[in-house]
Amino acid sequence: MHLDPFELHRPETIAETLALAGRLAPAFDYLAGGTDLLPNYKMHLNVRPHLIALDRVSELQEYTLDRIGAMVRLADLDRDPEIGRHYPALAEAVHGIATPLVRASGTVGGNLLVETRCFFFNQSYFWRASLGFCLKADGDRCHVVPQKEKCYATFSGDLAPSLMVLGASVEIAGPDGVRTIPLDAMYEADGDGIRRVRLRPGELVVAVHLPPAAQHLRSTYRKLRARPSYDFPELGVAVSLRRDGDRLAALDVAVGGLETYPRRFPAITEPALGQGLDPERIGALAQAIQAAVRPVHNTAYPPDYRKRMTGVFVRRALTDLWDRRGAS
Amino acid sequence: MDAAQRPEHRLIGGSIPYIEGPLKVSGRTEYTDDLKRPGMLVGRLLRAPWAHAKLLRVDVTKAREMPGVFAVLTGERYPTPFGVLPITKDETAIAVDRSRYIGDVIAAVAAQDELTAERALAAVEVQVEALPEYTDPRMGRTRVDAPIHEKGLNHSNIQKEVVQHFGDVDAAFRSAAATARVRASFAGVTHAFTEPQCTIAEATPDGRLTVWSSTQVPHYLHRSLSEVLGLPMHRIRVIKPEVGGGFGGKSDPLPHEIACAALALETGRPVKILFDRDEVFYTNHGRHPTFNDVQIAADAEGHLLGYDIEAVIEGGAWSSFGTVTTYYNGVMAMGPYRLPNFRYKGQRVFTNRPPSGAMRAHGGTNIRYSVEVALDQLAETLKLDPFDLRARNALPPNSTTINEFRITSTSFLKCLSAARDRSGWAEKWGRLPYGQGVGLGCGFYISGSNSPIHFTPKMPQCTVHLKADMDGGITVHCMQADIGQGSNTLLAAIVAEVVGVSLDRVHVSPVDSDVTPVDIGSYSSRVTFMMGNAARKAAEALRDRLLEATHQLTGYPRDALRVGVERYEVEHRPEVGVSYMEALQQAMQGTGALQSTGAYTSPPVGGTFKGARAGTAPAYSFAAYVAQVSVDEETGSYGVEKVWAAFDCGRPLNRLAVEGQIHGSIHMGLGQLMGESMDYRGSRLMNPSLLDYKILMPQQMPEVECLLVGDADPEGPFGAKEAGEGPLVATLPAVANALYDAVGVRFYDLPITPDRVLKGIDRRRAEGRSWKGH
Repeated sequence: MHLDPFELHRPETIAETLALAGRLAPAFDYLAGGTDLLPNYKMHLNVRPHLIALDRVSELQEYTLDRIGAMVRLADLDRDPEIGRHYPALAEAVHGIATPLVRASGTVGGNLLVETRCFFFNQSYFWRASLGFCLKADGDRCHVVPQKEKCYATFSGDLAPSLMVLGASVEIAGPDGVRTIPLDAMYEADGDGIRRVRLRPGELVVAVHLPPAAQHLRSTYRKLRARPSYDFPELGVAVSLRRDGDRLAALDVAVGGLETYPRRFPAITEPALGQGLDPERIGALAQAIQAAVRPVHNTAYPPDYRKRMTGVFVRRALTDLWDRRGAS
Repeated sequence: MDAAQRPEHRLIGGSIPYIEGPLKVSGRTEYTDDLKRPGMLVGRLLRAPWAHAKLLRVDVTKAREMPGVFAVLTGERYPTPFGVLPITKDETAIAVDRSRYIGDVIAAVAAQDELTAERALAAVEVQVEALPEYTDPRMGRTRVDAPIHEKGLNHSNIQKEVVQHFGDVDAAFRSAAATARVRASFAGVTHAFTEPQCTIAEATPDGRLTVWSSTQVPHYLHRSLSEVLGLPMHRIRVIKPEVGGGFGGKSDPLPHEIACAALALETGRPVKILFDRDEVFYTNHGRHPTFNDVQIAADAEGHLLGYDIEAVIEGGAWSSFGTVTTYYNGVMAMGPYRLPNFRYKGQRVFTNRPPSGAMRAHGGTNIRYSVEVALDQLAETLKLDPFDLRARNALPPNSTTINEFRITSTSFLKCLSAARDRSGWAEKWGRLPYGQGVGLGCGFYISGSNSPIHFTPKMPQCTVHLKADMDGGITVHCMQADIGQGSNTLLAAIVAEVVGVSLDRVHVSPVDSDVTPVDIGSYSSRVTFMMGNAARKAAEALRDRLLEATHQLTGYPRDALRVGVERYEVEHRPEVGVSYMEALQQAMQGTGALQSTGAYTSPPVGGTFKGARAGTAPAYSFAAYVAQVSVDEETGSYGVEKVWAAFDCGRPLNRLAVEGQIHGSIHMGLGQLMGESMDYRGSRLMNPSLLDYKILMPQQMPEVECLLVGDADPEGPFGAKEAGEGPLVATLPAVANALYDAVGVRFYDLPITPDRVLKGIDRRRAEGRSWKGH
């Protein structure tokens, strides 16, 4: 397989980056770690003639516990014990991404914006041509749910659910300045596998912000996949809670790997606040979330299994966090 | 050292690191893709995007005219069919008239670079007429509209049908006190070797063609090149560089190898074809998708009375080794038990999918699964410990099976005892808490197919040449194909052992048909046994020349001399002797470099009925494995915690290599059991990548305890038998039987993925059955 020729741009500041983006839009992609983008380019998936590499933009590599730059490498988070101490869900999510080699190159911003996946999309050009292509690249129909309107490619990032339950927000720079929005607001909840984020043309994710309260949460991230490394999630479940005596003072659940976007369930979790948790309540919460998710058949495991595992994973995570000793 | 205190062998039987290891781990090994020739072009293949189509027109005019394009070939240029078996040659280098699966080769291009080659392929204009697609082997067994090959039995897609009956199976089942039945399905699996196929070919003005290829069987490639290209073999030179894994997938001559040579002939320039990973998957030749049905009858004490077996195996688009595979899916059930009655009906059916072929433990894996699971069921019915049932039926040494396999050495009973004792079976089986379990699986496998594929059995299957020259080194020439299994190391060790020199004196020549005498290659677990014997004979001949020289130098008679270390000495006066170099220089007087030859020809064994040769071997390996598993009942995920692998490979020659083969076999077997699957939707392979095809991760590997308990085989080199394929087959049923011990569910569809485990547990609960069966 060959990469089609492209022009590589390597700006050194955010301002330069945005200027380039403004000039080249929409004929470019940002290149962060490249671990997903470049394999996709080799398969000729939505290849663009320009790549704006972000590795020399030092502002994007700034890293504190409150603000993590978009170009911070996953391996740097993985080896930082402070992350594990303050944000267990984030540490677990980072550690489970792909392989050490991929984490050495992959970045926070890259994982948040990782291309959605589908076994009709992540295939060679030859394979896709033999099928007549799909809605997400070069074609006009979806093969997962046969129709011509909506793409069902699955969001497969691990960081998004874990950061969501930690209350993270995302700092976005664009032609009109900088804006900071809750992380879940960056994803298009009623969109599809193509129109999946609410970023305007040329906008750049600069950093993730974590609120002080995040350090007082018990949290965990659990991932279902065929093998214990390398594979993308078939399901990712992030849960955070704060326990105030026998009452639940905070609760958040987010899932990835099931639908076109990483998803929170405030309508299910918020009514549980102020009460205690017991196996029955935990079971009811898990059941409600399981009932709400709608995986489709475009990954290795069948959707009914992934749906059922959502309930199991949520229940186990809630049980562990509620009973956990020592933490808040 | 006193003779009584000396170990019998200096190297053999120890743990010898691979001689090529330092090159491999330092990245210095040259695989085919590392080789560069001046002016080399890039070859690429146009692959069919249709499952089954008549090629009405393949127009390469535009492609040929593109700048940078040197040649574009279509099927009619070299239409002679070839195949690994002389009786079923049905592949062509490039499709002629018809393409038979998604990925079939319909044109080949040589260009200045990859991009130009790809653009040329895109410029090839093809008109086709779609033909009906056949994707279920069970449906292709009756008359069909457009058989995939003309020769299909009765206008069907059946490539091969085998019917065998020994004894009286119906009578055996009528008299049985207990029976067991397993009907199972097995997804196809593929080898997933590290190095993708790669071939370089170069035609030179002296009228010769040189082909470098990543192959397990250089000799069959040599023959196929000659047949298809119409060049005599002596004008073709085949070189096998180091190979990054084969597992059976590089044992057929393959279309791209011939197409690459054809492009070289056409252009007069060196041409390289290197596969993308998806092309490796389309080329496949992996384990056949299989449906089998095994019935076993036994008397009240558990003596086996008979097997009644049916199998339908999916061949994909070509015959490949399929005739052999069809036989093996029956006869590989013949051991390790004594069996008075046996019936088998097997069919191999073409489909419009990538071809199946030979894969490690070829033809013996899926049938072994069903037999061993059925035996577990039978033991439960008869309230017998699975070990006792098997021990009661063990094939005795020096016996003959009902289909006339000659059994010589077997240490199967020792395998059973070792596995039982070391695993703590008595305390574990049926006694572990819910979710944990142990299971037993056994196996046997050929130690080399007795019949060479391509020539009369009177021709040696392996010849080894040695040359010792003034530098004191010994060069070994043999066309055996080291594909990572350690055969180069074994060659060197045998020669060093017998001649009495240090290992570093022995240099194994690269495989090169101009230099290395024929060995028929790395398949059917034949190399250790056959090459080992040939190497031993060649080394003994060389040693005898050196002992003769020692006699000349010392005056002691030949039979008073013995081989020391880098020295030949008098048996009863070891201080009297000469060094290896002294003996060598004496022996070279007047003759120059010493040369010797050794060859191996398999013994005449087996019956005379049709198909009697299938499964005959000069010896057989035996195995008894216990696996311990742990199951998460809510998710269905499970882990294999430990495997106790008792294996009879006769006497292990290189323990390190044997244990490596056992670990690798267990890894590959667990891959097939736990997650690997060629996933198709109709004719379309859904997962042609190493991300989506789930080979086992290192974290999933169990602890493995190798128990090498075999006694010396009378005919094996230094008493050895194979250890390359037999170690795989027992793995799968051991784990499946352990899962039954753990959660009380039998699994009849492979791979056993967590969702299937969960469904199995659901079903058991719905039926109100207890998890404890015994």
